[in-house]
Amino acid sequence: MQFDTGRSPAIQFTPRQRWSVAITYIVIAFGFALGVNQRDSALNQASEYRNLEAGIAALYPARWFLEESGSYVFRVRDMAHLGFKTIIEVSTSPVGPDTTERNIFDQLSLQRSQVLIDYTVLGYDNYRLADDSAAVSMSYSFVSRDTSPFLEGVSSIVNALDILTIRRGQALVISFRADERIYQAELETLRWFVQNLEF
Amino acid sequence: MLMDTRLQSDLERADTYSFLPVWRRLSAQIAIIVTTLLAIVLIGEFARPSFDAQLERLLSLALVPFPVILWLFVSVLPEYRVSRPRRRLIGVAVVSALTASAIGLPLVNDFFTVQQWLPLQSVFTRILGYTLTAGIVDAGLKFLVLRYLILPQGLRVRSDAVAYALASSIGYSAYLNLELIWRLEPTWDIAAIYLLVNITVQLASGLFLALGIIEAYFSDAYPFVLPANLLVAAMTTGIIFALVGGFLSGPLSTAGNIDRPLFAFALLVGSLVATLGIVYFLYSNAERREREAFGSQWDSNAI
Repeated sequence: MQFDTGRSPAIQFTPRQRWSVAITYIVIAFGFALGVNQRDSALNQASEYRNLEAGIAALYPARWFLEESGSYVFRVRDMAHLGFKTIIEVSTSPVGPDTTERNIFDQLSLQRSQVLIDYTVLGYDNYRLADDSAAVSMSYSFVSRDTSPFLEGVSSIVNALDILTIRRGQALVISFRADERIYQAELETLRWFVQNLEF
Repeated sequence: MLMDTRLQSDLERADTYSFLPVWRRLSAQIAIIVTTLLAIVLIGEFARPSFDAQLERLLSLALVPFPVILWLFVSVLPEYRVSRPRRRLIGVAVVSALTASAIGLPLVNDFFTVQQWLPLQSVFTRILGYTLTAGIVDAGLKFLVLRYLILPQGLRVRSDAVAYALASSIGYSAYLNLELIWRLEPTWDIAAIYLLVNITVQLASGLFLALGIIEAYFSDAYPFVLPANLLVAAMTTGIIFALVGGFLSGPLSTAGNIDRPLFAFALLVGSLVATLGIVYFLYSNAERREREAFGSQWDSNAI
């Protein structure tokens, strides 16, 4: 059987067809840009947290879950993430005039090594806060496992970073913990959080 | 110039029997797919068979090629029995599947990260969000595939646009189905729902896209008609994605949350039938108008 080579009724575009295609490209590009804008505004939407007693004001991602009952001033968690939930936790404690940042980190390490599996300090570094004041950071890692053995969950390796600053006889510790697979990406959220933290 | 084009178009259309009809075959495919998947959902809902995990995964994965094989038998192979076949159907389907794999899915899942921020929003925001992310990406990519593989040389009669849009939708949805069922390992009946979701979404958006192409290329419609159809195509994706989750999941109670696959099935079949009805009505209406216009022009020429 011999096939006919079918040709279009309009092998050359008419001006209207040319405009149709051009406007369609523009609509696709515009729709794409609106989608990016909607994603960014949803992901970057912030809620405000204020605690006059502790003298802390902060912005946190609106879709994160805020908790205030615990041994901390407040903490926020990304509940949408599967597996280990990324946490930013802010706590304060009174310190004496001779207390150094290293003393506080050592005390935290001592406590954590008893409750966290495979707790390992990875190193210390200096950190510059939004108001250009100096802070100290400690990075560490541990293994997170489901509390219930019946859940049969897979353990996650968690990378974490503590940022510590001492002001007016108070030590402020910002603890950031995230699954190691998304740690680098989530660090952006921590930087944004620290930029907007008032203490 | 325009008149010449239309005359040429109509002369070619006179040779109708050398082209394979599309609508009846498309409806037959949809009917077979819906009936088969409904049977699977009903078996899962009422008979509740328990399979070995490996067998269940295999059965779920076996559903993926089903619409493709059906399309090959109903739409592609018969093309080679007519004198003027649509020879790029398989190419369009393969390129669409590759586009979904290389661009579409990474854009929606990794760049837009819709699962992180859209499912918890209000219905209106979800519709808008899915329209501007998954909807625009899917419809835009399918349009680009059709633009560069088919337009304008591949279009000889109106039904060509529908046939190629169907090919693009089948190819695009095939990869999405494979990825989803491979990754989530759903039960057999839920895999059938996932399959129907992707087929409905891609077919609905593909048909509106075809309608836009037909209007632009055969009726020489105003330049905003094609982009408006692309937006409608994206919006159907947005509406179906935004609503199907709520239909599939039952309300939360103290007893937990139970899937309601039949509710989701009804929504998807309703969307599919409504889309098919609307597009077919507009398609046949435009064809009738053009036939009448050509008839009156023929009469005035004869006088």
